[in-house]
Amino acid sequence: MCGACGFPTAAGHWTDAGAGSPGERLRLRFTRLARVNRLLAPYGLRAHDDGATPGLQLIAPDGRRELVPDLEALWGAAARLAGEPVDPLSARALGEGGDDVRAR
Amino acid sequence: MTSARADGRLPLTIVGGFLGAGKSTWLRHQLSAGAFADHAVVVNEAAETPIDNLLLARARRLETLAAGCACCEGRAALVALLRGLCDRAWKDGIAGVVLETSGLADPAGIAAAVAGDPVLARRIAIARVISLVDGLNGALQLAAESLARAQAEAADTLVLTKAGMAEQSALARLTATLRRLNPVAEVVATERGAPARLPDGAAAPYRLPELAAAAPIRPRRLRIGAEAGWAALSTWLSALLVARGDDVVRVKGVVATPAGRLLIQSVRQRVQPPEILPPDDAGVAGPPPEVGTLVLLGRGIDEDLLERSWRRFGG
Repeated sequence: MCGACGFPTAAGHWTDAGAGSPGERLRLRFTRLARVNRLLAPYGLRAHDDGATPGLQLIAPDGRRELVPDLEALWGAAARLAGEPVDPLSARALGEGGDDVRAR
Repeated sequence: MTSARADGRLPLTIVGGFLGAGKSTWLRHQLSAGAFADHAVVVNEAAETPIDNLLLARARRLETLAAGCACCEGRAALVALLRGLCDRAWKDGIAGVVLETSGLADPAGIAAAVAGDPVLARRIAIARVISLVDGLNGALQLAAESLARAQAEAADTLVLTKAGMAEQSALARLTATLRRLNPVAEVVATERGAPARLPDGAAAPYRLPELAAAAPIRPRRLRIGAEAGWAALSTWLSALLVARGDDVVRVKGVVATPAGRLLIQSVRQRVQPPEILPPDDAGVAGPPPEVGTLVLLGRGIDEDLLERSWRRFGG
């Protein structure tokens, strides 16, 4: 395996790569929670971050909770709880009603 | 790897393979290991936003062709560029050309374009067609994509990439499948560009079904803005790939973040650790990155729908 011929890579989960310092990481955690919840809302789910435990808690309407380590795991768990993928291109997520607005 | 020809024609090495197979990674390692010395490197991408050149800082001379895939709509641009290289080859000391195709290209189409041009036919000879096959996704691609089969069939050398990440028994079956598709090609394995071991022993090839015509994979561009926040992008893109990773086959782009300019790349659901680009453009090869534009290569993905979705969840 060769690691010599590329640029340096960001460590950790890729979704955390945009924050360098500990302060940025903390800020990212909270600004992102609102974004995540905007996508989860049409599916009746929400995420919670207590600021202390690593990862996020995913909460279903019936009170079920799941602790997930990163965003990728979050969307996988959300699909299980919602019974369908949380798809940012779907009519449900976009609140456009009717059938799935897939490309023609 | 290639040397001067007695007839004075410039040797052209074609590096092809499916979207995300690892063409740039392989070529980057070859250049860094001293292969293709004195070669001009031409990088062709299907989308109009060039990205792969950023990975090839070691190229002695780098040309980017981002006007569409060179085996079809970008054919005229490729022919013009190669003619120009031939004219300057002597003066610039160019000993050969290596062309990294887009993942949507059929290398046979490119070879035909070169052979069919009256000027290039006299001045360029195809030295070798190298097709890269994704060690993780290759079996699925061969089963589902006629283009992946055409790329494998056109090769003189088949390079199995990501060999260290793939399961060895699956890699052995993929190797057997490739040998059945293309019995004359040499098969080698690599991991992040460096040589790796091919699995030993015989294995049963995968059965490849007859393929019905499928919707073509098309490049889509999404302008997310130079100042788009990482919180929004990481949320939206991770959700999109988990939900649609089978349709959004490949994503590439450079985004500005507090942690620096990040080069983002995915192959289906798998996102590579982002590379941190140097802060100024002096450290990158070819045209400077178009920061804030994502290229998504996918099937049945509507550009308006992408934009609407990004405006709602990202803007």
